[in-house]
Amino acid sequence: MMNDLWNEENLYIVAIAVLLPLTAGLVIVQVNPYYALVMRGILGAVAALVYALFGAADVALTEALVGTMLSITLYAIAVRSSLIMRLGIIEPDLPPEDLLQTLRQPLRPYHLRLELVPYPDQESLQAALEGKEVHGICFSQAAVKTPAPQYEIQTRVPRLYQILSGHLPLEKMAILNPAPPLTPANSL
Amino acid sequence: MNGIIIAMLLALLIPIYEAYRDSHIWQKMLAFASIATKTSMMILVVSVLRDDWMIGVVGVLILSVGNAALMLLAHVIKRSDEAGLYEP
Repeated sequence: MMNDLWNEENLYIVAIAVLLPLTAGLVIVQVNPYYALVMRGILGAVAALVYALFGAADVALTEALVGTMLSITLYAIAVRSSLIMRLGIIEPDLPPEDLLQTLRQPLRPYHLRLELVPYPDQESLQAALEGKEVHGICFSQAAVKTPAPQYEIQTRVPRLYQILSGHLPLEKMAILNPAPPLTPANSL
Repeated sequence: MNGIIIAMLLALLIPIYEAYRDSHIWQKMLAFASIATKTSMMILVVSVLRDDWMIGVVGVLILSVGNAALMLLAHVIKRSDEAGLYEP
């Protein structure tokens, strides 16, 4: 069998089979989860080619249908809905766009997305934070009468506080330390 | 037979290198589209050369399914793109 594989007639099979570890290595070195998903699709296409070349047509079809199409789609949806910070805001009192940009900046290295969830008033905002509908809430300090309103972010997730603190312009946006230590009850 | 397949293999290496090198998500998707089409075309060529219609049918199915997976993934990434994750 080994001699069969290495003769000149079957050289192309060996050359194509080498692509499989090559593309698998490309999947491993990806840092961004979305890039890794695209690379997994490439790996699935190459794997289907190798399986078909070795005569395993059924395995190739399963790899293309389940291993590539279904798993990529499900993982893309899972990554998209888990790598997210849901921030509750009060609808008429939106923070300006440049403040949101400075908020997105420290989240970017962690591939976290910022999603704004609007609420009608302060009470429902607090209730959403306590009911764990959102990871954090953002509201303006009504008591401080400065020309530029100061915003405060309150989060129930200590890890988000660690990521965000020290990266925000304090004169425009402050973040409150979530007081209780990390317990299963207030983790993500 | 060897010559055709080796030439197709060399053509396949170009989008793989492109997917490795380029850091933009849509460039990687383009490379994925190119690779998905090229691999299924290779399956079709091998099936014709071997006169094996079982592999041929699977090649046609993979050709269509690979593009369906690409469209589904592109749709999810486009929604993330609109949410501002991939701004330069």
